[in-house]
Order: sequence, then structure tokens, then C-alpha cells
Amino acid sequence: MQPLTLSKVAVRCGILALILFVVVVVALKFGAVPVSLYGLAKDLIGVLIGRSSNISSEYGMIIREIRLPRIALGIFVGASLSVAGTSFQALLRNPLADPYVLGVSYGAAVGSVLALIIEPHLALQPEIAAVFTPLGGFIGATLTIAAVYLLGRYHGDIDSKTLLLSGVIVGSFFSAMILLLITMLPSSSTRGVVYWLMGDLSTPMPPILGWVLRTGFFAGFALIYLTASDLNLLLAGEKEAMHLGVDVKKVQLVVYLAASALTGLAVSVSGSIGYVGLIVPHVMRMIFGTDYRMLLPASAFGGAIAVVIADTMARTVAAPSELGVGAVTAIAGAPLFIYLLRRRLA
Amino acid sequence: MVYGRAALAFLLVAVTAGLTVQARGQTTSATALREVTDETGRVVRLPTQIGRIVSLAPSSTETVYALGLQDKLVGDTEYCDYPPDAAKKHKVGGAINPNMEEIAALRPDVVLVVKSLNRLETVRALEQLGIPVYSTDPHSVIGVIESMKRLSEVLGAGDAGAKLERTLRERLAAIQTKLKDGTPKRVFFVVWTEPLQSIGKKTFIADLLTYSGATSVVESQQDWPKFSLEEAVRLQPEYLVFASSHSDNVKNDVETLAVKPGWSAMEAIKRRKIAVVSDAINRPGPRIVDAVEELARQIHPEVFGEKN
Amino acid sequence: MERGAPDGSRMNADVRLSVEQVSYAYSPNPSQAPIFTLEATSFQVKPGEIVGVLGPNASGKSTVLRLIAGALQPLSGRILLNGAETHLMEPRARAQKIAMVQQESQLLFPAKVWEFVLQGRHPHGKSLRFENDDDVVIATHALRQVGADHLTDRWMDEISGGEKQRVILARALAQQPVLLLLDEPTLHLDIGAQVDFLHTLKKLTAVNRYAVVIVTHELNLAGEYADQVALMQKGKCLRVGTPASVYQRDLLEQVFQTRLMVEQRVNGRPKVSVLESSE
Repeated sequence: MQPLTLSKVAVRCGILALILFVVVVVALKFGAVPVSLYGLAKDLIGVLIGRSSNISSEYGMIIREIRLPRIALGIFVGASLSVAGTSFQALLRNPLADPYVLGVSYGAAVGSVLALIIEPHLALQPEIAAVFTPLGGFIGATLTIAAVYLLGRYHGDIDSKTLLLSGVIVGSFFSAMILLLITMLPSSSTRGVVYWLMGDLSTPMPPILGWVLRTGFFAGFALIYLTASDLNLLLAGEKEAMHLGVDVKKVQLVVYLAASALTGLAVSVSGSIGYVGLIVPHVMRMIFGTDYRMLLPASAFGGAIAVVIADTMARTVAAPSELGVGAVTAIAGAPLFIYLLRRRLA
Repeated sequence: MVYGRAALAFLLVAVTAGLTVQARGQTTSATALREVTDETGRVVRLPTQIGRIVSLAPSSTETVYALGLQDKLVGDTEYCDYPPDAAKKHKVGGAINPNMEEIAALRPDVVLVVKSLNRLETVRALEQLGIPVYSTDPHSVIGVIESMKRLSEVLGAGDAGAKLERTLRERLAAIQTKLKDGTPKRVFFVVWTEPLQSIGKKTFIADLLTYSGATSVVESQQDWPKFSLEEAVRLQPEYLVFASSHSDNVKNDVETLAVKPGWSAMEAIKRRKIAVVSDAINRPGPRIVDAVEELARQIHPEVFGEKN
Repeated sequence: MERGAPDGSRMNADVRLSVEQVSYAYSPNPSQAPIFTLEATSFQVKPGEIVGVLGPNASGKSTVLRLIAGALQPLSGRILLNGAETHLMEPRARAQKIAMVQQESQLLFPAKVWEFVLQGRHPHGKSLRFENDDDVVIATHALRQVGADHLTDRWMDEISGGEKQRVILARALAQQPVLLLLDEPTLHLDIGAQVDFLHTLKKLTAVNRYAVVIVTHELNLAGEYADQVALMQKGKCLRVGTPASVYQRDLLEQVFQTRLMVEQRVNGRPKVSVLESSE
């Protein structure tokens, strides 16, 4: 009998953090401008200390202003989606659950597309205009979270089976609406929307959005992690969990809101990157087991690593053209998923 | 209670983490700058001397060449293929999704975009990196000519721009003179066949058609309206106009259409009254007058002394 | 008819669980009439005592158990565990006192036996917790008490039905409860496993002084192992008392709608057999 201890979790997370760091360094090396690892190290240290580096300003600028923010974005989007997927799998007691199954991403898409449509008709201040589309996405996500919750209640309380149904229905409704809205867009915006829908990290965004994403991730993760023991019991069954002292309805509500918020934030800034939220939890489960006190942070790191790798491939494989990162995760994710399925059945 | 304290701790960590990884915008060194307003109403700060240009639209690339500034063109998109030399320039990706790093690495003094093609996110992203972006937005043939003239002044090639404007206006006037006694032909500009899609009244192409002695039968306020085949047949346009760089492909496609129900009822199909214009018609750039002329020759052959 | 309906004056320190005139009604939605009702039911359980709740299907047995567990709120009456109403208890505090053994839901992901049993320690301590050495000791002890410590490192989906039931019992014991509730624990077990299980339960009840309420429809097992039985039919509690006093032939035949024979054995425990129509 070797129960999980806090130090075991910390050590394993440390290893994962190290892997993430290595992946980030390698990712930083790839790009339009060839960068030496030595020059990279100097520049990274410069950034971490907060002082500007002495390297030729164009390389430093590219690393700081373009590549590093993009990698940071990938880290937090990947971590958010994986944690959300892991949480939904416990909440809905369904191993096929991913962050999008409850319709949040479609609601965010509708919000973003609507924002794209109405923005030209509003006279907005530049600072607001720059974040208008992601803001629309997040408002869409929030409304979807509320709608799915209200429709997904059973006798006034949150209920996992009804929630799943409600999410699928709301999601498919919004999904149809998106197609309709796209036809109303001026043609130049349509192409941009397609990239966004597929999942795209290539467009640098205002720093405030990055800050919101980071803060939102840590807050959401903290809320979910506090229910990790309860989630372990929920996996054994709702009735059993209740008899073991878990306040099932409260845990379900907290996890639903936090995981949906994580999804909404990620999708608002980067579109719907697929497969990460579905596969990373399973891979981490194969490595670390199903205890959520370990699985949640492991999924966060796993998702970050996966998205950074996928995004690096997206921007180097067909350079100078870019594939959408969602395309890479789909191409890699589908066969990996089939492999995972077969292993479970074997 | 435990929730509260832990959440607070994490929020503190998050805020600190967020602040330290903040990317700082970098201001360029003290080059002489001037302010211009581009065609979308944005105020752009540009160096007085433009030495390095990146173009994110094929039409802008063509304009740069037409103004004789090709030596200053340090990068363009993968779709910039005219004139042939443009294909040899350093590529920065597509027009919709250009690679930010490539553009930044080229250290351009200005990036040229077109409102109807490029994305606003691209413009904002470049501005955030401190790279000036100048956008054109012409909606008519004369608008294109004037836009190129303005661009020539922004890029410091005012004389070349004036000359270009004069030449184009003269050629246009000559075509108008030839066509002035004829009646405009009723045409259907085919953007796509399945589903059938055409161009709206307010588009640049609709304007161009009038200079070629044609008028679009499609009355729509949308830019790229989907059109019912039945209605198109009922209107019986005199010509179908296609934009393609490969007119043989178009001829083959028309043969395929001729045997399809609906299409076969269209007089223009039956009598093969097809006009093919090069895709210059899609580029609001220096070759629009070529496109006007090309189309005019095909639908008014008698005026230009051509055989149909 | 023994109903043993206690009021405050008869409450003595020896009684751990007191079910007092508890009734319940269930309707699928507020506008419809209730489709199931439990009429006022009463009985008491002392420490070290096993009370069996018996009856055919849909007699209200499981409802009684869930009311005792605090999962349902009584329509009238109350259920007191050491003087406190069970459905008013905070879930965590309640789980430290009441443990439920029931048919397990399918596990979503594979789990080891020891992980499963350790879950019983969850009600003790903070919401997010990592198990400490005490927890391990208690869980190990629980497994040993049910005779399943040789299964510690096995996977839950690999062990037999009887073994699984023991492990579920071990998890309940790991909660260190004062009240044990069991809902048809022997339902899918063969007769040997059934006897094993109940024998172990009886021994542990005596040693650890649990109060136990077990829902079953196995008349003979209840007759053999329960100290008291409450006989239910269609939501009514017909009789509470020792098996010998409750197993009266006419009463049983009326409740179970079949011809029966009841023998009183030498050890004071009754035995029920089914009669052929010709006998």
C-alpha cells in the first residue's frame, strides 16, 4: 500500500516542468530567424532577470515580442484545455469527454463571429477594438456556460447526465449558427474565421489578453485542484461519493464552472484546438494512474508540452507558410487516439 | 475556507507570473518620421525615407513594380506572382496568415496591405511590434488609379506615380471613346458555379464592368451573393464572364456545363458567348486597365475589329 | 403488533439508532400524486446489534435505508443517530459516523483494492488531503478484519464477487463508523459466499460494537444472523421483533404471497421453506 503523497506529486511535477522547459528551449530555436542556443540562453536569462539583452536588437525583439509570447500562449492554452478535459471526464463520468463536449467552444465561436460582424459598424477606441473579438468570444462562452447549466439541471440541481445532453444540444445549435453567420461575413473575414475555428496561435495579441489567460488558468486550476480528492471518489460513483461525505452537487458545480471557464478563455484567444483536451488526460493516466491529485497537474504540463510541440511543427513544417496548430493536433491526434483505444481493448 | 486561502495564494502567484513575463513593446530608434493617413482612416507613422517594403497583397506587389520600386521590395506573399520577378522575392507566407517572424526579420520600413484581402489582426499584430502598416482600400476603377497615385507619394515615388496615373487614364479614356456609341452588354460575372455565385453592385468588379461596356445583371447589395440558377437563366445574360489565368480550362468547364440541366437553357452557354479575363480583374492594381481592355475586346468584338 | 414507537422519555443511552415514526413520499414531479409512500415506521438499533429490514420488492426497504443514511428527508418523524438527526448532519461529519455498503457502480477507470479501501478515509480530515500513515494502518486493519488482506495489491475488476463485497465492507470499516448500513450485500453471491460474508459481519459487529441495519430479502439468512427484523410490505412496516417472533407462517405467507413452512430450530432461530402446492 503506497498512497500518493504530496512530495511524490511535487517531484513528478518537477520532472514534467523540466521536460516543458527543454521543449520551450527547443521551440525557441525554431523560427524564421536562426538562433544559436548560446545566444538563446543569454537572451532568456536577460528576459528572466528583466533586463534587455545585448544581442542584436532584431533577434532579441523577435524572441521577446513574437516567439516567446507565442510559446507562452501555447503553454497556457494547452494546459487549460487539458485540465478542462480531465475535469470533464470525471464530471461527466465519460472517458470520451473533451473540453468542447458541453458546447462552450461553439458559443465562443458564435460570440467571436458576431463581434467580427458588428465591429466595423461601431466606432471603438483602439484599445477596445484590439480585444473586441476575443471579448465577444468570452461573452459567448459565458452565456453558453449559463445556458447549458440552466438547461442541464435535474430537479433544480446540477446533474451530470442531463448536463451532457444539454451541452451536446446547445453545442450543435451554435455550431449550425456559426455556419449561418459565416455567410453573412464580408469575404475577407471569412478566411480569418476559418483559421480561428481550426485553432490558431499565430496572431500575436495584446498583452492584456495573455495576462487574463494566465491568471484565469491559475485561478481555475486552483479551484479544480481543491476538489481533486472528491473527484477521485466521484469516479467510483455519485452515490458512493455522497455516502463518503462528498458534497456531490457543490463539487460538480465548481468543477463545471471552473473547467468551462478555462475552456472559454483558451478558445477565445486561440480558437478550438482539437484533441489536446481529449488525449493528453488519457496519456497522462497511462503514465501516472487515475488519481486526480497527480493527474490534474500532470495534464496541465502534458497539454502545455503537446501544444508547444504542435505549434512549433505548425510553423516550421511548411515554412514560411503556417499550418494552423489545430491541423497538426488533428493529424497527430487522431492516430494516437486510435492507438489508445486499441490498447484499452487489448 | 480552504478554498479561499488556496485560491488567493494561486492568484498572487498568477499575478506575479503574469507581470514578469510581460512582453515590452520596443520603440524604434530616432529615425525621421512623418504621419500619413491611410485609406482606412488610420494614422500611420512612417520613416520619411522608405528603403525596405514588404507587400502582403499581390496587387500591392504589382503596384510597387509599376512604380519602379522593386529593388526596395524585400518580401512578398506566396501569391505574388506578377510580374515574374516578384515570384523570386523572399516569401513571408500567405496574405491571410503571414509569418510574423519573417516580416519582422526583414526590418521593413512599411508593410502594404489591402483592406479587402488582409486581416485586421495581422495589421494590429504588426503595429504592436512597432512595424508601420499602410492599407489601401479602393472600391472602383478610378479609385484604384487614385489609390496607386497616393501610394506612390507615400513611398516617395511621386513622379512615377503621376506618370502611371496619366497613362492609365489615357488608355481608359481611349476605350471609353471606342465604346461610346454602343449599348452596354448584359453580362453575368461568374465567381463560382456550384453554388452559383456572382458579384454585387457595390463591388470593384461591377464598376470595372461598366468601363468595359458591360453591366452586371445581378442586382445585389451583398459583395459575393449566391444566385439562383433559375433566375440567372431567366435573365438570359448576353455573356458569361469568367476570371481565370487559364482560358483553356474555362472552355473545358463550359463544355461540361453545357450538358447540365438548367445551364443548357442559357443562351450564353448555348451560343458559347463566354468571355475569359485574366485574374488581373481580381487585383486592384496596375493591370486593371488591361483587364478592362481584355473584357471589352471579347464582348464588343466589332468595335475593336476582332473576330469572335 | 410490536411497533416499539419510542418517545423522548424512553430514549436510553443504550440505543444508538432510533427510527421514530418516519414516513416518506416520492413523486416524479411536484404536480403529480406521490407514487410511492412509506408509512410511519419505527425501530431501534443498539450497539452490537444487527437489524434486518425484510420484505418483497418495492416494499420500501431501500427507502428506509436511504432515510437512515440521511440521503432523503423524511416527510414526518425523525431518525436519530446518537441523538442527532441524520439528514441534518453535514455530509462529511455524517460520513464519519455512517458507512454504506451497497452494490457498486461500475468503476470508470481501473483501481487497486488498497486505493479503493483508502477512499474510506476521505471523510476524516480536510477536503483535499493526502493519506497519512494512520490512514494506511486503519485501511490495512480493515482489510485484515474482513479477511481480504491477501487481495491488497490486486485490481478491483480482477477479484471475484464475494471478494469484492468484502473489500467494499472493508472500505466501510475504514470509515470507522458507528452505524453500518448494508443494501442487499449478498445479492449476487453464491450461498457459500453469502454465509461467509454474514458470518464475518456478525463477528465484526460484536467486536467493534457497530449498530447494523441490513436490507435483504433472504429470509433464512436474516433469520440466522439478525438480532431483530422489521418486516415490510408495500411501504408499511408490519412487525418488528426477533426473527422467531416475526416469522409467523400466516404473516409471511401474506407478505410473500407463497405457501411456506416455518420451523423453529433448536438454537431459537427459525427456518423458512417453500412448500409445493401438493404438500
